[in-house]
Amino acid sequence: MKNLKLALAATALLATGLPYAAQAQSTYDDQQQLIAQLQADKRAVVLKAMALDDAQVAAFTPIYDAYQADRKLLMQRGVDLLNAYASNYDSMTDDAAKSLLKDWLKLQKDEDALVEKYVKRFDKALPTTKVLRFVQVENKLNTLLRLPGIQAIPLAK
Amino acid sequence: MKIALVAVALAAIAAPLPAYSQAAPATQGVKTDEQILYRQVMTDKRAVFAQNLQLTEAESRAFWPVYDEYEGKLKKVNDQFLALVDDYAAKFGSITDADATAMLKKKMALEKQRDDLKQVYTKKVAKVLPPIKALRYAQVETRINNMIRSDVYSLIPIAQ
Repeated sequence: MKNLKLALAATALLATGLPYAAQAQSTYDDQQQLIAQLQADKRAVVLKAMALDDAQVAAFTPIYDAYQADRKLLMQRGVDLLNAYASNYDSMTDDAAKSLLKDWLKLQKDEDALVEKYVKRFDKALPTTKVLRFVQVENKLNTLLRLPGIQAIPLAK
Repeated sequence: MKIALVAVALAAIAAPLPAYSQAAPATQGVKTDEQILYRQVMTDKRAVFAQNLQLTEAESRAFWPVYDEYEGKLKKVNDQFLALVDDYAAKFGSITDADATAMLKKKMALEKQRDDLKQVYTKKVAKVLPPIKALRYAQVETRINNMIRSDVYSLIPIAQ
């Protein structure tokens, strides 16, 4: 169980988008630090991929930073959810499974709503070709970052 | 749209898959090929669920009709997505702001439909399976979706 908890503490962050699983610890401070590191790295990648001119950068970054701040809250919920999954893994009850599934569906819904909300905000500040580009970059990054973590989490038993 | 790669990607999912999925033929991007390959992906996906859920006979009778209904609705959304990708590919390099506006609107609408279907049908599955198997279903669905998305996104060049 200890090994599973460690594995899940590491993959918890990966599942919500963190590429530093090997360094992950199950303490709140470490999780916060790792989320901050991921967001800083991701911001740099997104800014480069967007290929914005100076005026567009000025319009884009405040909205992107607000998006990242909101996303951080969802990432923390993902970490909490996976920690709860790890705690219940060896002796999963029906009630725990129901609660985990309910919380996970809610988190998914909130993540989808967040992207939708910010796409509308970006579309008011940037040419739509750039917004389309943002959606593509964001989708690619999120999918790539999530993939190893999701594959590593053992299925419920 | 090279869905053959998506079919191959399914082979990398944790559960063992039939050998034919690993030998999916290369598509020429023709619509009929897309449809054949899509059916292959869906067949493989069904096998992955069967392997991972280990349903009893009673659970199978309750689960598969819900699953098939979900996949049927999902296919309609995915067909529209493929049409959008074909349109994007045809215009790539000369996408105007008007094109981008229409494509972004369509893409966001399709994403929403896909997300809504996932929410609705995961809840339906949770009504017909024991909670732990329903949770397992959601995990497998998420794994498969991420594998497919990862491959699909890697094939689509970023807008210029």
